[in-house]
Amino acid sequence: MKTTRVVIAGVGGQGTLLATRLIAETAIKQGLNVRIGETYGMAQRGGPVMGHIQIGKVYSPQIRPGEADALLGFELAEATRRGVTFLKEGGLAIVNSKKIPPVEVISGMRKYPEEKELISLLHEVTSRVAVIDATSLAEKAGDPIATNMVMLGALAASDVLPFGEKEITAMMKESIPARFLELNTKAFKLGSEALKEENIFMKNQ
Amino acid sequence: MILDAPGTTVLLMGNEAIVRGALEAGIRIAASYPGTPASEIGNTFSEVAKEMGIHFEWSTNEKVAFEVVYGASMCNQRGMVSMKHVGLNVALDIMEMAALRGVKGGLVFVSADDPSQHSSGQEQDQRWLAKQNCVPALEPSDPQDAKDFTVYAYELSEKYQLPVMLRTVTRVSHMRSNVKLGKFQKLDRDAKFDFKQFSYVVAGFDKLFYGREKEANEKIAKIKVEFDSSPLNKLVMTGEERVGVIATGQTYNYVMDALIKLGVKNKVAVLKLGTSNPLPEGLISMLLKGVDKVLVTEEPDPFVELHVKALAKDINPRVELYGRMNGKLPGEGELMPLMVDGVIAEMLGEKIPPYPRADVEKEAKDMIFGRMLTVCAGCPHRPSIYALKRAVKAVKGDIHKVIINGDIGCYGLAWAPPMSYEDTYFCMGASLGVSQGMSQVGVDSIAWIGDGTFFHAAIPALMNAVQTKTNIKVVVADNGVTAMTGFQPNPQSGKMATGESTKSVSIEAIAKAVGVEHVEVTDAYDTKATETAFKRMLKTEGVAMVISRRVCATEAIRRMRPKRPVPYEVDESKCVGCKLCLSTFGCPGLSFDEEKKKASIDPTICMGCGVCAQVCNVSCIHGRDE
Repeated sequence: MKTTRVVIAGVGGQGTLLATRLIAETAIKQGLNVRIGETYGMAQRGGPVMGHIQIGKVYSPQIRPGEADALLGFELAEATRRGVTFLKEGGLAIVNSKKIPPVEVISGMRKYPEEKELISLLHEVTSRVAVIDATSLAEKAGDPIATNMVMLGALAASDVLPFGEKEITAMMKESIPARFLELNTKAFKLGSEALKEENIFMKNQ
Repeated sequence: MILDAPGTTVLLMGNEAIVRGALEAGIRIAASYPGTPASEIGNTFSEVAKEMGIHFEWSTNEKVAFEVVYGASMCNQRGMVSMKHVGLNVALDIMEMAALRGVKGGLVFVSADDPSQHSSGQEQDQRWLAKQNCVPALEPSDPQDAKDFTVYAYELSEKYQLPVMLRTVTRVSHMRSNVKLGKFQKLDRDAKFDFKQFSYVVAGFDKLFYGREKEANEKIAKIKVEFDSSPLNKLVMTGEERVGVIATGQTYNYVMDALIKLGVKNKVAVLKLGTSNPLPEGLISMLLKGVDKVLVTEEPDPFVELHVKALAKDINPRVELYGRMNGKLPGEGELMPLMVDGVIAEMLGEKIPPYPRADVEKEAKDMIFGRMLTVCAGCPHRPSIYALKRAVKAVKGDIHKVIINGDIGCYGLAWAPPMSYEDTYFCMGASLGVSQGMSQVGVDSIAWIGDGTFFHAAIPALMNAVQTKTNIKVVVADNGVTAMTGFQPNPQSGKMATGESTKSVSIEAIAKAVGVEHVEVTDAYDTKATETAFKRMLKTEGVAMVISRRVCATEAIRRMRPKRPVPYEVDESKCVGCKLCLSTFGCPGLSFDEEKKKASIDPTICMGCGVCAQVCNVSCIHGRDE
């Protein structure tokens, strides 16, 4: 079986871990091997975080540069930072247009780069870049905290994972507490619809 | 985690797998002090201890944790101690004694090392301490190994009556993968102190006290032989290969992926090494004799490599050794997949294409900020630092007339912009000690320490200051929890690891009891009151302390879930665009709208603490419900 490799990039506090875990637990449910490596720094929130998910026969918890089938970027600059290193040529980038300015920007030491500059760098490694406003969609679903489920929904709607939306939503029912399930399912669906609107990106070119 | 279904496959993190292994081995007790990358071991124990009928505690420090578990071991109960690598430095005294006096109930301790210092001040390789103290060290490569090695470690510990080190690295501790569960062993042992083994009176002082090093050395010699046929070490070799690899712990993953990537699986003999102390010299010798070149992969020090080099001198001096010592791999830090690909290709005389992304990566690096670490939105440490800086400026005239000696925890990020107000930090509790040395030679300083760290290691230093009449100023940045590692309770939290309530130990009562006369408590969110308290402290002769108290904002919000705090907002009609809130306070919830030339607050980040409203000179920030 082909190995599937996904890099998740974001900022601490964005809930990247829950998205990562749902993918992994769905994979195990399907009888697949999964290996996840996570890199996070010292701060509870606000620092760069990155997750590497690999499904199939792999050993290392780290994806080699240039070998990821997809990038799930929860924050604009973090998406570009990781995408240019890890995405394979022609890989799928799903990018949340949300900007979370770091302390360098807040305190005036640096400027936050323009969205089009960041996206054009991603275009140097792939033409398949889908930018969605996941945080606003999560707000629409009821709470910006559900950004992670919007992003997961978008990934599930693509052709990257060896399973689809149905399998992931079934796993969500198993592992998300009932009182949060409605919000998360709604967010997941909005994410999936958002990617489908970008349908040119769905098929591997 | 507590699923009693042997054979089932579940997703576990390396740290969780270690807990599962300990539970399968029938432990009765576990103790830890939080520290990345080890913290999830204790977090997991916290969640399952009650249900599994075992004792788990977040001890005051690692030494206490080790002693607690050793006490139970002398009474024939299995136990686990876990800590980050530098925690073992704190527990070293008792670890060495446990190795010399021996254990009764299996004692396994986890040293979660952090090569490349993802979340540590240093990347110390604790395998040297295992070697130094005659302690066997096991190195799992993934979560399945982590569980299986842990179960085995208890058998080994009891067979040789030695504590066993389970040594992980961050990439194993934080790796998640399929783990096939095993059976829970039901030990049902009576807790009885073993007088013959441990009592000076019964066993005899001379027998217990002297000559134990010899005994420990003999145990290690026996274990070395046992490790040659241990399933923890696997040599795959046909005899046709010219190149061999000794792949230690987690680096085995990089080696296997490299062999697959390069398509050279049948050209390279591989020893998967799971026991780094003592080394299985028979297996290593077999490899050294059978090939021309041997690569040793390990993290971060050339610990195995050094010993392999010594062995090679006797076994096969012609073998060419590759690794960190001959410069083919870096001398420190984590290995990366590409490094291992490269060195194996070189050993086989194969070429790998140059890395194609260097240019675009450089472009990205130039364009994108590094995202420096900072304390969270709503963090009470930010206003404490803000107030401290203002107080020092007011009393001393210049903020740099006082050295700020910080300590280990979230507040250690006080050095970060825009506050940029902390000169040093070293290791748990050191702020109080180094401040005394500075004071003795006439240099003013402030010890800036958190509540967890105060309990962990600062109390002896505080007593020292009182006894020596040293003029030090201490600020306790007290947010009620051990926040940086995930909100674990500490002695003042009023609750135990399992959530049960208990007495709260008071920092101010301790300070007063040891003789600190000037002790004040302020609310960190009240910047004026806090600043005034700091000013009084700075003007006081002798040991003076201010406890700047407010619960961690992230913890406060966890407690109020699913409700969210009401965010603050900027009244754009009043904001003059001076950026004072950004340049002097710099909460991550604030930003500047370059088009409107006004400050703004991101409601998804804002924790509703309202301190930025106190910082603003024109009163343009207010709560949404006001």
